[in-house]
Amino acid sequence: MKTHLANQGKVVDSHKRSADGAPWTLKEKLLLGMTMQQYIVQAVRNPFNWILALIFAVGLPLIAGRFFFGLNWVTHSSNDYPWGLFLGFGLFAMVPLSASGFMLGTTVEIFGRHDFRPIERLALLNGLLGYLFAVIYLLVDLGQPWRLPYPMVVSFGPAAVLFLVAWHVATYLSVQVAEVSSSFFEWIGWPAAKKFIREITVGLTVSGIILSTLHQGALGALFTYAPGKVHPLWYSASFQWLFFFVSAIPAGLCMVIAVSTIARKTMAWRCDEEFKTNLDKLTISLAKGASMGLVTYFTIKTIGIAHDNEWGYLATGWGAWYMVEMVFGVLLPIAIFAWAIRNRSASLARVGAFLTVAGIVLNRLNTALITFNWRLYQEIPHWREVIISLTIFAIYIVTYRFILYRLPILFEWKEEKVLVPETVAAAVRSNEKYQGAPEPVATYRTTD
Amino acid sequence: MSGISRRKFLTCTLVGAGATALSLKTDAFASAKLEGYPDSMGVLVDLGRCVGCRSCEAACNREQNLPAPAQSFEDQSIFDQTFHNGQKRRTDENAYTVVNRYEPEGTENPVYRKVQCNHCNEPACLTSCFVNAYTKTSEGAVIYNPNICVGCRNCMIACPFNVPAYSYSSATNPIIKKCIFCYDTRLKNGQPPACVEICPQQVMTFGHRKELIEIAHERIKTHPDRYIDHLYGEDEVGGTSWMYLAPAPFEEIGFDTTMNNEPIISNVKDFLGTVPMVLAIWPALFTGFHLLATRKHDIEHHGDDHQKHKDEEKKS
Amino acid sequence: MRIKMIVPVIVATFVLVAGFTSLPAEAAPPAQVRIDQLSKDFEPVLFDHANHIEMVGDCGECHHHTTGTAAKDPDCMRCHNSGSSGERVACRDCHAAEPFSADHLKTTTEDRKRYHRDLLGLKAAYHRSCMGCHEAGGGPTGCLDCHLRTESGDALFRAGKHTPTPTEKAAGHH
Repeated sequence: MKTHLANQGKVVDSHKRSADGAPWTLKEKLLLGMTMQQYIVQAVRNPFNWILALIFAVGLPLIAGRFFFGLNWVTHSSNDYPWGLFLGFGLFAMVPLSASGFMLGTTVEIFGRHDFRPIERLALLNGLLGYLFAVIYLLVDLGQPWRLPYPMVVSFGPAAVLFLVAWHVATYLSVQVAEVSSSFFEWIGWPAAKKFIREITVGLTVSGIILSTLHQGALGALFTYAPGKVHPLWYSASFQWLFFFVSAIPAGLCMVIAVSTIARKTMAWRCDEEFKTNLDKLTISLAKGASMGLVTYFTIKTIGIAHDNEWGYLATGWGAWYMVEMVFGVLLPIAIFAWAIRNRSASLARVGAFLTVAGIVLNRLNTALITFNWRLYQEIPHWREVIISLTIFAIYIVTYRFILYRLPILFEWKEEKVLVPETVAAAVRSNEKYQGAPEPVATYRTTD
Repeated sequence: MSGISRRKFLTCTLVGAGATALSLKTDAFASAKLEGYPDSMGVLVDLGRCVGCRSCEAACNREQNLPAPAQSFEDQSIFDQTFHNGQKRRTDENAYTVVNRYEPEGTENPVYRKVQCNHCNEPACLTSCFVNAYTKTSEGAVIYNPNICVGCRNCMIACPFNVPAYSYSSATNPIIKKCIFCYDTRLKNGQPPACVEICPQQVMTFGHRKELIEIAHERIKTHPDRYIDHLYGEDEVGGTSWMYLAPAPFEEIGFDTTMNNEPIISNVKDFLGTVPMVLAIWPALFTGFHLLATRKHDIEHHGDDHQKHKDEEKKS
Repeated sequence: MRIKMIVPVIVATFVLVAGFTSLPAEAAPPAQVRIDQLSKDFEPVLFDHANHIEMVGDCGECHHHTTGTAAKDPDCMRCHNSGSSGERVACRDCHAAEPFSADHLKTTTEDRKRYHRDLLGLKAAYHRSCMGCHEAGGGPTGCLDCHLRTESGDALFRAGKHTPTPTEKAAGHH
């Protein structure tokens, strides 16, 4: 991409080329304004793609194998550890890291903090993709994934926490698709659809908060079914849902910091000036929110231990491991954030954010996997299970990158203002016509 | 561009909340305590009588058409097998019941413990299942419908006795495998399960649960020297249909004695109780925040391009 | 002595499933008892009653108080202290072959006024009566010492020619 830009290449950030005023075709939009050949050349040139290719070469056949040969081909088929890495990491860690959507949605739309706008869409996208891939991990893990809609249509178990999770994740996924779709509508050029989404934004956001509160908490509450299995230091009948919900707040915020850092570094060409100039300031602001979340989280974790009088466990080996998680995943980030906010150092805040993300992932792995069955034995996941988890994560990265390269997430779509309200209907009509048209000849007209 | 009216905005909010509420209507009431069916049957397992012949394992295998075992049921060397850091054998897709041998300190003879589904009064597997695949029948059996199971394996997480197993080996139709009290073939016809019937020592006594409790306490009273003064399963996790008497401390023969007497679902109640609260409070709370945090102008022109806000902010 | 006798000649056989319920107290004890409740999986056991009478001497060792000797267990003595012989002597007169049938449960555990509610079934009564003595007195204790398995029994226990070969491993993982 850098080479492309160095060769006077254009970046697609509006419906029209700036030079001659001719509109981009859909194909050109998809190829980022390059020819197919240029696109392939730049893709092959990128060493990261080679790493991805290697992961896919090994991982994709393994994923196919899981469906042909069954779960016992890729996991240890443990009856004591029914949930392995796919859920331990894929579901329980991905979901809190995706809390960013509702956090930033709330901040901007509900609290009216429009200064967070430049990063709101990234947060929404991060939420959407995180949930989407949590569901993909789930599909790989479920014994009969084709029955996934059963709790919605075939048979209801409304007393089950998982029933709530299923409904909420499904509903929230649709809410997030709607939230993110406005960037897609800008990109593809359907202003009426975008306008509709805007009108229901507050409604979407509020339902997003409700759904998120409940299912982030519900993921924690799932473990309250296993009081004797999760180690007491990671378990609390009364507060488990609060632990998961509260820790999702810094997790989501820090994930946005982490992703924006990576995006700023690896795809600077795609970020517009507004994003670039505001990022440091926003990072500090997000860090403030995250540190408040972490302090609250630390406090309630401590209350949890006091409430169940589990101090004695701290002196055991498990206690030491718990301290590692708390010190490196919670206390150290709090200290770093405090320092970073005081000195207005965005880069330090980023360090804290990466640590927090790692800390939350560790917490979920500890709850779901590492300390699970602490009185029985510890199971090390099958190598195929590890590779499949890694492969799905790589698909997540590729999808993330694909969207960030194209949709107006890190930049603002230009030319929007030329669409005057009176002509919206006309624009929709003309666009409907274009939908069925063959790709190469499709053009997008704005009402100029 | 037409702005969003307040009414419209509130409608959006309520529709969102309403959709959520519909899907959850019974959550809050699902945790009421169930004492078990009054005429529930049960089995009293007297471990003092067990000689470890494994006939029950063989009978179960035949009754439930399970796959051939790796070793003969005669093979006593199986008692020496341990897995993962000293774990004894457990139930799996090929065995709904297993007998394990323990040698507690101070007892002359080994103690054998039969493991199978305990058929809880308020089963954790049942309450954790999001497609309601489990049923507690009036006879006391906890049975399972493989045709709607999605395979999330939450029941295996929830079961405090680690009983349900999964047929991981099947790629196309993996299901939960566990003891069903021989419900289909025997219990519902008024017959005892196959393991009970074959046992040469009558380790297992089949009958109405409430009468078995009386009988168990009678045995303890008559022979205090033979039994630990506790009926395991009378109260554990809300009571189970299968209950145990033991000649040695329960914790020394593989039982989890740290269990609460409340059913597992009680642990989840705290969360389930918050669900309707969040549903009721959040919409109003956050809509209120929104109204407080934004100026009138912001609300009326919410759909507008945010550039406008920035322009205003710059001006002000 | 060997209990494992497959002599088909039956001198005075008590067939357990036979319809009569009690035996006159003064009747002569059977010399041999044919036990064939499990005849699906096990060959009938021909219990040499006469031999056991000779060896043990005291009928009360096995027959509680019902043969005229006083009960030994002090708990039993509280009621059964007369030492008079009972009308019911044979094991099956009290210990039901199908202790958990719905009908039988009505007369035992479900009968709340009954003292002996917790009554062993016939099979367990035999085993628990025999095994204690056999263990103490060096009698046979292994299952196959008394019972010959039928073809069906071998299939049930996966023994004999039904023994799994080492390669025939179950797929289960613990």
